Amino acid sequence: MALLEIKDLHASVADKPILKGINLTINPGEVHAIMGPNGSGKSTLSNVLAGNEAYEKTAGQMLFEGQDIDELAAHERACAGMFLAFQYPVEIAGISNMYFLKAAVNAVRKYQGKEQLDAMDFLDMIESKKKVIKIRNDLLERAVNSGFSGGEKKRNEIFQMAVMEPKLGILDETDSGLDIDALRVVSDGVNALRDEKRGFLVITHYQRLLEYIVPDFVHVLVHGQIVKSGGKELALELESDGYAGWAGEEGP
Amino acid sequence: MSLNELREKAAADFKAKGFPTTKEELWRFTDVSRVANAEFSNEWKPADLNFEPLSSIVVVFENGKLSREKSNFDELPAGVCIGSIMDRVDPRIGTLADSQSAFVSSNTAFFSDGAFVEVTDGVEMNTPIHLVYLADADGAAFHLRNFISCGAKSKVTVIEEYIGETEKNYWTNAVTEVFTGDGGMVDHYKVQRESASAFHFQTLEAQLGADAVFSNHAITFGSALGRNDIRGKLMGEGGEAICNGLYLLKDKQHFDTHMFMDHAVAKCNSHELYKGILDDKSRAVFCGRILVQQDAQQTDAVQSNGNLLLSRAAKVNSLPQLEIYADDVKCTHGATVGQLDEQALYYLQTRGIDPKQGHAMLTFAFANEVLDEVKCKPIKTYIEGLVQDWLSKVSA
Repeated sequence: MALLEIKDLHASVADKPILKGINLTINPGEVHAIMGPNGSGKSTLSNVLAGNEAYEKTAGQMLFEGQDIDELAAHERACAGMFLAFQYPVEIAGISNMYFLKAAVNAVRKYQGKEQLDAMDFLDMIESKKKVIKIRNDLLERAVNSGFSGGEKKRNEIFQMAVMEPKLGILDETDSGLDIDALRVVSDGVNALRDEKRGFLVITHYQRLLEYIVPDFVHVLVHGQIVKSGGKELALELESDGYAGWAGEEGP
Repeated sequence: MSLNELREKAAADFKAKGFPTTKEELWRFTDVSRVANAEFSNEWKPADLNFEPLSSIVVVFENGKLSREKSNFDELPAGVCIGSIMDRVDPRIGTLADSQSAFVSSNTAFFSDGAFVEVTDGVEMNTPIHLVYLADADGAAFHLRNFISCGAKSKVTVIEEYIGETEKNYWTNAVTEVFTGDGGMVDHYKVQRESASAFHFQTLEAQLGADAVFSNHAITFGSALGRNDIRGKLMGEGGEAICNGLYLLKDKQHFDTHMFMDHAVAKCNSHELYKGILDDKSRAVFCGRILVQQDAQQTDAVQSNGNLLLSRAAKVNSLPQLEIYADDVKCTHGATVGQLDEQALYYLQTRGIDPKQGHAMLTFAFANEVLDEVKCKPIKTYIEGLVQDWLSKVSA
């Protein structure tokens, strides 16, 4: 069964149609990249999938492991195994990163009918994840994303993903604002989480990220539609030719 | 002036001026006619209320009178003196809190008990002193006078906790004077859990010597009508005053905080972080005035007041005020009133946390920032528990 199946998806923001018929299937273990210029609908796609109520699905279907996720609120989608790494992670003063992670892990476990992790088990789990995604202790003790640098915020997103062990990871322009070192750290983290069951949807403006996270499939999103799909070589094609060829096809 | 003369003068002041009205600038948003028009009795009864001791040293007042039986302060380190203010006449009583308002005057005129805490020079008192005020006498007025003196290079932690029985109508009128000597450190807490029908007024006056540190956390849950007047006087160079506070209000509670920080000399710091969470038709007033006198060069003063409204009917009046007569100073202030951040709620939701829990987490986080600087761990844990408890009742 496909992990994620998107059929003829239409979506609007503030009554303005943004997505105009997206079709996409992600099977377990596959990494799909969506590339597109500014305003093509990349962030809308990730937000509609994650269940942001500011984004309205107007037509089509989104199936996660065969289940229509329309009826699931954002937290239920997360509990079902979808994870969105934010382009702009939110700063939350007054909640420590550790407390936040524990609440998240236990919310998912509760939803899945599993026992709650106690403080000791949770700490053990964090220690084991720190071996996969390197993160400084002080970032875990500080308030969620508060005063973090751009790179630290993105690393924190990937660390959260490692801790939550989703079935599908959606990375919304995770590369934006990162220097080459930070990009490498984030990509190494994602690559460490790749396995035959977990799927990824990597959304990016630039080909650069895909040098580090090598996708199985690349899709080009322009004006709310996927205009071309192919293998990883498509990303290189875009790098040399840009989006101009497609962006011009559909006038205002 | 002897204590008796002081009392007579205060009684005359109170008689002459009477209670303030909303026509006075400092009382514009807080109408105390309910207190002025009420009749209070002086009949005493023991209090049938429990409390959780936060230290091995506990001084308990029941319905305005020291209870030796419930207290425990027999074994004290050398240089530390604790007792009833009625047994220790110190000439400094009344020198800080004089006749600022009818509440202070009536307290000076009528106070019948209160705590006396003195730590002599060079003594570090590491055990906190927990002052507990239990109230369950309907129709009573409690004029409590506390005196705290921390000598030069000494250290002391004092927690004032006011606990009242639900539904009881009474009036707590407290005044606390704090002297912090040169290089002294006073860590002071006030937890106000009065009856939701009670009146609670307190004036806290703190004077700081050179290089002294005075820290105050005022956490308010109770009283129908209440006010904290907190006044700090930085009298020696290098002094630092930290005055943080949190008020959690619901139903028709009205709570007013009036802060006055007086920078009289150079090179002192003061910072104030005040937060409020208001539900139902509750109302909060925050007025923070920082005065930087002409000689107070290189003052560093920061003040902020944030309010979270959980209901459309709740209301806040926030009035930060800076009055600066020196030219080389760093002073900032700010005030906010708002709701929870929708983006933060969504972020928590994408991590599996349902909106109800997310709401509770963010509300707690908002309040928790005030507790960041609480140095005493058992007090922090205790206050956090009270805040969680309050929040769980509000969201239920």
